[in-house]
Amino acid sequence: MERIKFEEAMSRLEAIVDKLEAGEQDLEESLLLFEEGINLTLFCQQQLQVTEQRMQKLISKLDGNFELAEVEE
Amino acid sequence: MQPKVISVSELNKFIGLLLESEPGLQDFWLRGEISGFKLYQQSGHMYFTLKDEESTVSAVMFKSRTRALKFMPENGMEVLARGSISVFNRQGKYQLYVDELQLFGAGSLSLYLQQLKERLEKQGYFNEDFKKPLPSFAQKVGVITSQDGAALQDILKVLRQRHAGIQVIFYHSSVQGVDAPMELVQGLRCLNTWGDMDVIIIGRGGGSWEDLMAFNSEEVVKAIFESQIPVISAVGHETDFTLADWVADVRAATPTQAAQLAVPDLQQLGKEIKRWQQRMQMAIEKIYYSRSESLDQLVMKRILKTSGLLQSLQSKEDDLQDLSARLLRAADDNFNRRQNQLAITSSGLDKLSPLKVLKRGYAVVRNESGVIRSVHQVLPGDMVQLILADGELKVKIEDRETGKRWKE
Repeated sequence: MERIKFEEAMSRLEAIVDKLEAGEQDLEESLLLFEEGINLTLFCQQQLQVTEQRMQKLISKLDGNFELAEVEE
Repeated sequence: MQPKVISVSELNKFIGLLLESEPGLQDFWLRGEISGFKLYQQSGHMYFTLKDEESTVSAVMFKSRTRALKFMPENGMEVLARGSISVFNRQGKYQLYVDELQLFGAGSLSLYLQQLKERLEKQGYFNEDFKKPLPSFAQKVGVITSQDGAALQDILKVLRQRHAGIQVIFYHSSVQGVDAPMELVQGLRCLNTWGDMDVIIIGRGGGSWEDLMAFNSEEVVKAIFESQIPVISAVGHETDFTLADWVADVRAATPTQAAQLAVPDLQQLGKEIKRWQQRMQMAIEKIYYSRSESLDQLVMKRILKTSGLLQSLQSKEDDLQDLSARLLRAADDNFNRRQNQLAITSSGLDKLSPLKVLKRGYAVVRNESGVIRSVHQVLPGDMVQLILADGELKVKIEDRETGKRWKE
């Protein structure tokens, strides 16, 4: 999930819902907002489909570098 | 008689023997405050001074003894040291050879912590202005704790319950004992150097005050402060705060709570998005209904345009099927209407249809200059056009009455 885009989408969605509920736009604008809102919910729902990840372990090596290792849990 | 001549070595040895043969100076407990503490990294031996208001005495604790230490000694700590007095021949000074070190009493420990806290506070380490906000949608979490502790399992369990796709980068560190402060600091630095994560959880399960001392160490406080990545402290204890808690960007009472604070609950987010869908649906329907009386050119134009909207949305039919099913369910719940429509937009559009509105008994009044919204747009005698669902009427205005008939 792309964090920044998701956060932006969520806050835009919230703003759209607020605007629609306030009902201050004309129909033209309301429908455009509604369309945008539906597309945003689609995007957000897709982003919530995640695949499971394994834990990784960060190990500091003697030479001062690090390496990531997979962990058996 | 000539006084006897002895060498310096002999003198020191002699005094050493004297001291070691005095039972009162062997294997006893000495109370004092640590100062001048020094840990030699190579040898692992600790050198420090124990003092009270009037006196000081040197002390040494060899590595073989420090292994059993539960905490890292720090200057200012009031301790009880068990050991024996002997002479350090090379310098001709007596010192305490420490076998065991304990923090002296809860009172003096809390005094020590209080003083350390005040000092760090003055230096600005706990200042709210420096606290970083937690990300609302963390994807990658760094965890610093012991690989053997229950805290790690608690954290992993909760992280995954909330966010199956969470990426965890774990750094193993002792969480008690002499090595703990250094390893915790190392962990914070490693994770920061590695970068690429949204938040760090550092902590351990509950324990005695001595067990928790690593989280009161000055170096750990400073490393948490210096972390570029927001840090959640998670030291499992209920009543008191460790200094790590004070400096952390957010303090969690337990490792479990830290995990809850660190990542979003995707199920909850999904529900929230659904609620927003429902609210949009309700809002747009309300807009249709409240404005359908004034079906003007704009609406007519919109009807034509929205067929385009419909198409563009239907082109995403795969995605939309699921969505529309959900939204229709929501609409059904809210309005007790059951219609077999495939897409949410078509259901919206149908309600928007001017024909449907006209069928409900409304009429559009217009003349050559457009839709008539006000009685002031016509005069008695004018001809106007009434558009009904099934045709048009031409009517002549007989009279007009101002004043609102409809309460809004």
